[in-house]
Amino acid sequence: MDIVAEDKTLSRLTNPGPDDELKAILKGTNFEDYESPLFIAWQLNSACNLGCLHCCEEAGHSMPDEMTKDESLDFCRQVADLKIPYAAISGGEPLLCPHIFDVCESIRGNNISLKIETNGEFIDEETAGKLAALKLRSVQVSLDGATPVTHERLRMGGDWEKAVAACRYLVELGVNTEIVFVPTKFNIHEAGELIDLAYSMGIYGVYTGKTMRIGRAARNWDILCPSEAEYERFFDVLDEKTAAYEGEMKVYYYPYDVIEELKYRLESPSASLLVVPNGKVKLIGPLPFVCGDLRQDSLSQIWANYKKAWRNPEVIEFTRKVIADPKLLAESNNWREI
Amino acid sequence: MKFTDHTKIRKEKFGTVVFDTLTEKIFITDRIGGEILQLIEQGKDLPDIFNMLADSYDGDKQMIEKDVLEFTEQLKANNIICV
Repeated sequence: MDIVAEDKTLSRLTNPGPDDELKAILKGTNFEDYESPLFIAWQLNSACNLGCLHCCEEAGHSMPDEMTKDESLDFCRQVADLKIPYAAISGGEPLLCPHIFDVCESIRGNNISLKIETNGEFIDEETAGKLAALKLRSVQVSLDGATPVTHERLRMGGDWEKAVAACRYLVELGVNTEIVFVPTKFNIHEAGELIDLAYSMGIYGVYTGKTMRIGRAARNWDILCPSEAEYERFFDVLDEKTAAYEGEMKVYYYPYDVIEELKYRLESPSASLLVVPNGKVKLIGPLPFVCGDLRQDSLSQIWANYKKAWRNPEVIEFTRKVIADPKLLAESNNWREI
Repeated sequence: MKFTDHTKIRKEKFGTVVFDTLTEKIFITDRIGGEILQLIEQGKDLPDIFNMLADSYDGDKQMIEKDVLEFTEQLKANNIICV
């Protein structure tokens, strides 16, 4: 018999980034070993009331062929059947989707952890109450400035006051509330102030990292992308704030950019799927490849396709080209079936 | 002793996956670690777990207790379980 504690390795398995220690831990257990994904990122709809300059999805209008309520609920059933433990719903603005609460109730009814990513503008006291009743893993609100002027300059048509009010309603009702901040030339100087504001509101955590050069952000890259010096100062501020709020509020930042992420994913794809509003399933946000369609394939089949797709020479070659020439990231939303 | 709110457990061929969806950290355990997790999920307390493992495996009961305690301390330290 051998049940010494050392043999029951309780080791971190994935997935914060390309570090050697992590790769060593991962040896022998990679995404291909999993019978189903561990995480589903689901862009529920494409409609959005804002026109953010840095939107990865180029959201705005609804797609003509988005999944219906019945199709969405069938997908939820498959997620539960495959024992997928965790899902995140985003958009567009997901609270504009008429069946969002049906979908959330289905997911939570199967005890799957659920995060909702929103701009917060449709969360009044009543909606906050409905979200609280779902006992979500978290609601993540986008707040791109510590002041209305900065936030609204980047998030065209946005209302900082509404986003802040949403955070306050959610916190008051005990919802685990997070803020996501995307640094650009417009707002990077307010990161520290924003983190202080988050703390004062009782936020659980602030998430940030380098802006991804995909979607609308790719088109606006020259006016958005902070300089190296600005990023350096930004990460110093994050380090200061991480230390200042240690044990009280989580300040999480992903230090790698999208190209470093792709280099890592080429070797170690994650055990996750990205579902877009019309039911197509992408390999990963920054690449254009689609490995399945929920209207035609079962989720189980799509997972098998996903595993194969990462070993497909076309995917490998294109990913290497993107790594060499990041301008190709602008192709990320021109979907290609693989 | 129970799992924390956002912890999910899933059995795979290579072991049991423990997913803390709040911190988004994933851990794996071997088969026996998986058995302990299953017993925790069933609401068993530590003495029950000691006895059940002692019945299932040959070996010194005190050593089994020590090993299980070390494992559950790891789970507690990583906020996988709470008392």
